[in-house]
Amino acid sequence: MNPNDPDTSLLPRDAATGEPLLPTDQPGYYRGFSTMSQKAYWDQTTRDVITMRVEQPPSLHHFTADQARFWRAVFDHLIPQHDRTPEHRIPIVEPLDERLYQNRGIGYRYEKMPQDREAYRLGKQAINEEAKARFGGEFIYLPHHQQDLVLQALHDAKNIAGKQIWKQMSIRRFWQLLMQDALEAYYSHPWAWDEIGFGGPAYPRAYTRLERGEPEPWEVEEKRHEWLAPLYTVSDVIEDTLELHLESDQNNYFLE
Amino acid sequence: MKTPLLGPFKTPKSNAHLLGPLQKIHLPMKRFSESDEVDYVIVGCGSAGGVLLQRLARAGFDVVALEAGPFWDTERDWVSDESGSHQLYWEDPRVTGGSDPLALGANNCGKGVGGGSVHWAAFTPRFHPSDFEVYTRDGVAVDWPIDYDVIRPYYEQLELEMPVAGPAYYPWGHPHGYPYGPHPMGGVGNALIKGCTALNIPVSIGGPVAILSGSHGDRPHCIYRGFCIQGCKVGAKASTLITHVPDALKSGAEIRDNCMASRIELGKNHRVTGVHYFDRDGNTHFQRARAVIIAGYSIETPRLLLNSACPGFEDGLANSSDTVGRYMMAQAGNVVLGRFDQPVRMYKAPPAHALTEEFYETDPKNDFARGFAIQTVGPLPIAFGKEMVAAKRAWGWGLRREMMDYNHWASFGLLGEILPWPDNRVTLADETDRFGLRVAHVSFNLHDNDKKLIKAAKEKTSEVMHAAGATEVVQEARFAHLVGAARMGSDPRTSVVDKFGRTHDISNLFVCDGSILPTQGSANPGLTIQALAARTADYLISQRDAIFTSDKREMTEPALRTELAPPGTYGRGIPHLK
Repeated sequence: MNPNDPDTSLLPRDAATGEPLLPTDQPGYYRGFSTMSQKAYWDQTTRDVITMRVEQPPSLHHFTADQARFWRAVFDHLIPQHDRTPEHRIPIVEPLDERLYQNRGIGYRYEKMPQDREAYRLGKQAINEEAKARFGGEFIYLPHHQQDLVLQALHDAKNIAGKQIWKQMSIRRFWQLLMQDALEAYYSHPWAWDEIGFGGPAYPRAYTRLERGEPEPWEVEEKRHEWLAPLYTVSDVIEDTLELHLESDQNNYFLE
Repeated sequence: MKTPLLGPFKTPKSNAHLLGPLQKIHLPMKRFSESDEVDYVIVGCGSAGGVLLQRLARAGFDVVALEAGPFWDTERDWVSDESGSHQLYWEDPRVTGGSDPLALGANNCGKGVGGGSVHWAAFTPRFHPSDFEVYTRDGVAVDWPIDYDVIRPYYEQLELEMPVAGPAYYPWGHPHGYPYGPHPMGGVGNALIKGCTALNIPVSIGGPVAILSGSHGDRPHCIYRGFCIQGCKVGAKASTLITHVPDALKSGAEIRDNCMASRIELGKNHRVTGVHYFDRDGNTHFQRARAVIIAGYSIETPRLLLNSACPGFEDGLANSSDTVGRYMMAQAGNVVLGRFDQPVRMYKAPPAHALTEEFYETDPKNDFARGFAIQTVGPLPIAFGKEMVAAKRAWGWGLRREMMDYNHWASFGLLGEILPWPDNRVTLADETDRFGLRVAHVSFNLHDNDKKLIKAAKEKTSEVMHAAGATEVVQEARFAHLVGAARMGSDPRTSVVDKFGRTHDISNLFVCDGSILPTQGSANPGLTIQALAARTADYLISQRDAIFTSDKREMTEPALRTELAPPGTYGRGIPHLK
């Protein structure tokens, strides 16, 4: 996509007119709110860590260029950022790559899952098999909408190809792993905090307006606007799982 | 307002070890030699280990704590950041399975001096008197070898040492009051009060939490920044790192940080002689000791015992009963989230600040035994995102949209009692960690009573959320806390340790941490773990040298020693209600 001439079919739309909304530096309902503008008020260690996250994202060590391109394409659907200007997109593959390079786990592995590096290796194979089964080509070469459908199939875990691979790892736990890595990268970034109105670090200064959801003097009021997801996406849906009160039912239903 | 009046905040340049902005710590600490036979080696310097270390050192024993993680300098090491706080959690490999596998790591396992008390939300309810006699009352699980009256003075003691903020009158279990005033409400607490009040459910406002509502000695009061489970840089939230470790070091204790215990050595006459461990560079060491206390919590404690198998104890040290690793428990911790039309901004205020225990006890009208609590929780953005992925299967644009509404959501955590079952257990997996030690395999399976309880608790919590005015209510199923896996009991055939934490099999080997709990109630376990540690310390101190020289077991309750409290803690605060 040419940043100066965005593919408008990938953009969210104005709810009233249906017209594409042009990419901005700061999506969300808190225009003008900037957590980084407050960094002088943070303690030094926090300031250093977060400034580094913004200014010097890690470079790739674990993934090959091909693998990185593949996962970038996948994460473009799991947490799409086409509403962000290219210079304000939040790196997701890089922090993941760093975690895998350092072989840093999260303190446990489900017995139905391999090690994380192996899970990502198998996951790429499985997504490509799904892409071939549904649309006859590797994931990376499919049109954006078909890529969305491939990942929707993974999300739903129904009628899925790659059965040999999913015997080696739980498709639901793999999806959980993907989403956790995506969330960890995106929502640890101050630009995402600005988007959702999260106040960010507050030591040593403190929060003082605790009740009624009111903003601190340096936060801003929410200004909502209605928007529609891009025309051809299938990810703007949610499901109710209120009846699934056991973790194993909610996250780990199996194929067949 | 872009810059503070005096310029950006900077960490002081001095080399002092900093705990919070003000607290001084006595360094360098005393160093024992490995060839010294110290009185006690404590494996793990967390909630229990920190309290034990402080008590034993103050009483004049030579005591060394081995801690697998670092000795935090909180100003330099900790951040107000979700993603930057991974090092606080036990992230070494483990395998989790069974029909209902538990999430471990950040969910329930600490690493570093202070252990889990560094990243707990610091809710400190006491267990109820009924918790100590579940079998007698309900015919399920097991009774404790002690009753509430035995632990009660230690609850009162630790509530002053932490100290705990909460209401002056707390109505559930054994009614009592708290020494520090309740905290102001955040948006989530307000929602809980509103929902409970609409349904005529009593609610505890502003505590009990081990978070300072007023400054206390060299610890400032809470600033309501919401990063409790990322480690409290303020020093307002109690952890043994700041409540007990400074006094322990001043009293002559040693902490060896980044030291991973690998095996307890069994010597002649069924007595242990010390602990093998790896230092930070992977070199092996052996510390001789006259007695050993394991305080590694519900996974590492049984793992160490199982990894210490030796001739005479082929199935694991102190495991003649085959209960090491068994009867492990987690609590149901489903998070019920409600969306409100008006903003809530749930990242402000401590996640823990209001609760109800109205449904804690067995209710004959229910189709299950025991009960649950409903508490405030305050997920930060990444945790909230994971909840949206589980609760609404959100991804892609749907996820982005939900996340943009972060400030409109409030969340309650139910805390439900899951009973102890023998098949919920820690064993050794075939794979090994970076030291070559076999890692823990955790198997967890819900049983009929557990499932019925979770369903009822989720429904009641959802009802409260609706009554609070939420226009949409969703739920993430999950678990909270760990206890059990080396339980205490009177019968050596069905338990690992006696009522003081001494292993039935080996007279100079003790376990003192959450793993000795026979049942768990629906109260957060941190206060009970520390209270039991203070009691075990009183017992050990009352025995003086007897533990080192004899196999005789004195089973008389020790006297409470208030004089062993860290200076300036006991004897302050309001008197508790009788």
